[in-house]
Amino acid sequence: MTGKRVAWLALGLVVIATLAFAAFGDAGHNSSPARRADSISRGVRCPTCRGQSVAESAAPAAQAIRTEIRRRVNAGQSRDQIEAYLEGRYGSDILLTPPNSGIGAFVWIVPIVAVVGAAAGLGLALQRWSRRSLAHPTEEDRALVEGL
Amino acid sequence: MTAIVGHSAALLGFLASTGGLLFLVVGLVRKRSDLIRASWTWVWGVVGAAVLGFGAMEVALVRHDFSMQYVADNGSRSTPLLYTVASAWSALEGSILLWVLVLSIYLAALSLRHRAQRHDPVFGWALAVMLVVAGFFFLLLLGPANPFHTVHGAIPTDGPGPNPLLQNHPLMAFHPPILYAGYVGFTVPFAFAIASLITGRVDEAWVLAMRRWTLVAFGLLSVGIVLGAWWSYEVLGWGGFWAWDPVENASFLPWLTATAYLHSVLVQERRGMLRVWNLSLVTATFALTILGTFLTRSGVLDSVHSFTESGIGPMLLGFFAVIVVVVCGLLAWRGDALRSPGTIDSPVSRESAFLVNNLLFAAFAFVVLLGTVFPLIAEALNNSRLTIGRPYFDRMTGPIGLALLFMMAVAPALPWRKASTGVLRDRLLVPAWAAGITLVVLVAFGMRSVAALLAFSLGAFAGAAALRQLVLAARASRRAGDPLWRGVAGRANGGMVVHLGVVVLAMGFAASMSFVQRDEIRMHPGQTAKVGRHHVTYVGVDTKKYPNHTAVRAAVRIDNDRIFRPALSTFPFATQAIGTPSVRGGVFDDVYLTLVSPPTTRGGTAVIGVVVTPLVNWLWAGGAIIAIGTGLALVPGKRRRRPTAPASEPFATDVPEPEAVPV
Amino acid sequence: MKRRRVAPWIAGAVGLVLIGVIAVAATSSPAESRIATSPLLGRAAPAARGAVVSGPPATLADMRGKWVLVNFFATWCVPCRREHPELVQFAARHAKADDAGVLQVVYGDRVPTVQSFLNKNGGPWTVLDDPKGAIALDWGVRGLPESYLVDPDGVVQAKITGGATADGLESLLKKVERSS
Repeated sequence: MTGKRVAWLALGLVVIATLAFAAFGDAGHNSSPARRADSISRGVRCPTCRGQSVAESAAPAAQAIRTEIRRRVNAGQSRDQIEAYLEGRYGSDILLTPPNSGIGAFVWIVPIVAVVGAAAGLGLALQRWSRRSLAHPTEEDRALVEGL
Repeated sequence: MTAIVGHSAALLGFLASTGGLLFLVVGLVRKRSDLIRASWTWVWGVVGAAVLGFGAMEVALVRHDFSMQYVADNGSRSTPLLYTVASAWSALEGSILLWVLVLSIYLAALSLRHRAQRHDPVFGWALAVMLVVAGFFFLLLLGPANPFHTVHGAIPTDGPGPNPLLQNHPLMAFHPPILYAGYVGFTVPFAFAIASLITGRVDEAWVLAMRRWTLVAFGLLSVGIVLGAWWSYEVLGWGGFWAWDPVENASFLPWLTATAYLHSVLVQERRGMLRVWNLSLVTATFALTILGTFLTRSGVLDSVHSFTESGIGPMLLGFFAVIVVVVCGLLAWRGDALRSPGTIDSPVSRESAFLVNNLLFAAFAFVVLLGTVFPLIAEALNNSRLTIGRPYFDRMTGPIGLALLFMMAVAPALPWRKASTGVLRDRLLVPAWAAGITLVVLVAFGMRSVAALLAFSLGAFAGAAALRQLVLAARASRRAGDPLWRGVAGRANGGMVVHLGVVVLAMGFAASMSFVQRDEIRMHPGQTAKVGRHHVTYVGVDTKKYPNHTAVRAAVRIDNDRIFRPALSTFPFATQAIGTPSVRGGVFDDVYLTLVSPPTTRGGTAVIGVVVTPLVNWLWAGGAIIAIGTGLALVPGKRRRRPTAPASEPFATDVPEPEAVPV
Repeated sequence: MKRRRVAPWIAGAVGLVLIGVIAVAATSSPAESRIATSPLLGRAAPAARGAVVSGPPATLADMRGKWVLVNFFATWCVPCRREHPELVQFAARHAKADDAGVLQVVYGDRVPTVQSFLNKNGGPWTVLDDPKGAIALDWGVRGLPESYLVDPDGVVQAKITGGATADGLESLLKKVERSS
């Protein structure tokens, strides 16, 4: 066993140990109401600004929505309920995330299908190419090499 | 008067570009070198017209010539000179004028740089394509984006000045021109790509020339994007710098495809492969700049930075359609003839790493493009309205970004043709340990977010891999007795410096996305609040008059040290006070202050917004490193291959540890 | 080795997809004009309750039995200032018949500023303050000025974004009345 091999092995052990520690030492998902409210706010678009979430914007409308979300979270409402309330007021485009059903599903599925398909195609091509390059050189090739 | 000069310049520019195009195309088709030579004069006419037109605009702005509509709309006597000069690009018409100026500078540079090859048909056709693009933009200046209209009726004595957000930070003077220099710069490689399709020649010398022009545009666009993010951060007041907004996406999309091209063209240079793919990437990059301009200038999408609606949309869309049809037609016609028979020997090689890289970049660009235009498609198909915002982009591009970081670490260590596991084991050991140590340290400090842990570890992996290459190169150059900078100059090492910059930037991005803390606190004078690990003390408020605005400033002391003054600024003619944030930057985190609402009574309470974001400065540093790296990559390196060396030149399979890995 | 001709197919397919996208982009209306729909249309109007800034103390519920134009505005909003005389005219036309009225909600503005604005420019109707933006939230307000036409039964019938004109409101009122 060479020194480098040992070094790689040691690295592997260190990484596994760290990950194990991290996984078991995890304090668990700390979901205080404030955090939940913040997480919901980050997915809601500020209606008077452009592109920002209500969590980020200081616009009055964003502040109002933030307060409302916090109030509803404290009242025990779920994320879905709060989002449904906002959609009922502003329309479905108040949420920054497209829905994963209906036409919105398209944006989630198509890229994944495309990437997986392209990766598979690339993998197949690489495999075919590397098999072909293992083929024996032809007479022509040998002549070329001789000529060099 | 200046309006007349400007208008004539636009007309002259349009005539010169169509005239030059006519001579050039007839000369190229009939093989008449006298006609081709004659067209060069027209090219200088185009350049002169653009400079004259832009000059006329600046003169009118600086001399407050309110008889011109554009000046009356965007100029003001109270605006400081810097912003007056910059207001030439603060509205739609002026931004098209800047586009024309930048394009003509490229036209001039291209003609001068390739003087010697002027009779080469590839160059001739490339010039013709440039003239078509220039002609189109001059046409915009004559039609829907005419900046030289005169005021109807009484000439105003003063104007409103530029949009307050555009005269609130000096970066506004630099960010748009640099961004445009990058954006417009992709016209040059596009022109060469079309020229090689028309002539059917994929001349390796032109591939090299094209790559350098792309590199210039890439560097400028990178800096432009980073400066844009910086401007957003310093001005917009929400404490962020990137919102996946359509305008931001429009500048990012060509960057993605250009970066893909800069990598995959190396496979073409080395192995003669991927010619058609590379031509497609280059043309896609340019097409995306036009599409992006359409999306952000036509008002079909909502955006923070969008210009007001105008009749320019249909023309840009039409131009985009022409590009699509021409490029697809040319590729269909020539594509098969240009394909090369080359294959890739091993899945574990530099070539296939570049293929994976291209797959990832293409996927990245696809996701960003889809997310940007999908609201339009959904509305057209289904009449449903939806927003695609930050959560979507973060979730979809995050994994791609991580995969790219991984590839950045592994690819430079891979030799061409075929790698043995032994080579990889040797070359990746140090970077892998850097990643491992980073992981351990972060876990020890209590970080538990899987995405963040992955991002930082892979960042360390990629950064260490790039550093390793640079150290080897520097060592080799010292051994050879060259100055140290020679060691890191050249394509390969410049590329590694760019990688370092990207890693630094990516770390800043990951950290600031994952660990931002924000709060809005109502405070009495003298009260202190704690946000993250920082203490902020509200001291008081004052009012200050500037030449172009009045600011209500809150004095806020951070960590019992210096005082910072976030403000609410009121500009004359503006509707609502706009916030002017104040930022204390730091290596580890930024404290970003905004005045949300000033006290209503003397000595009353004020609401101060505090955003503590880690590693924001890394973004700007990363941008600077990318710029330096691009500059180094443009300097000829030590072991430069002859540009005319055939692409199929044989290479050793077992490359010894190289002093400069060609990237 | 004979190679298949693939370039025309790939280029053609990509071209077709892009032409489709272009067609979509060419037919889409500007973003500004797309926000005049609201999920509230055809549903009971949310309550509008707040401190009265000016005019007779009333809530939206008190105004049942006549058409009400609920208008969100601020004095710092230039189109709102431009719209204001049109609202005054609209209210004046219906004052005698008392078949339609205006209810304004202040959006992100200071009460004294609004009061002096109304004193100068008229507007005898009820104006409610909305300091926390709660009313605007209930109505899903996205920008200023924004108005909602509520029918005598308290159902939201139309949403108008941007400056309205008295004549425009009149014809809208007729159109909605006819269709309902």
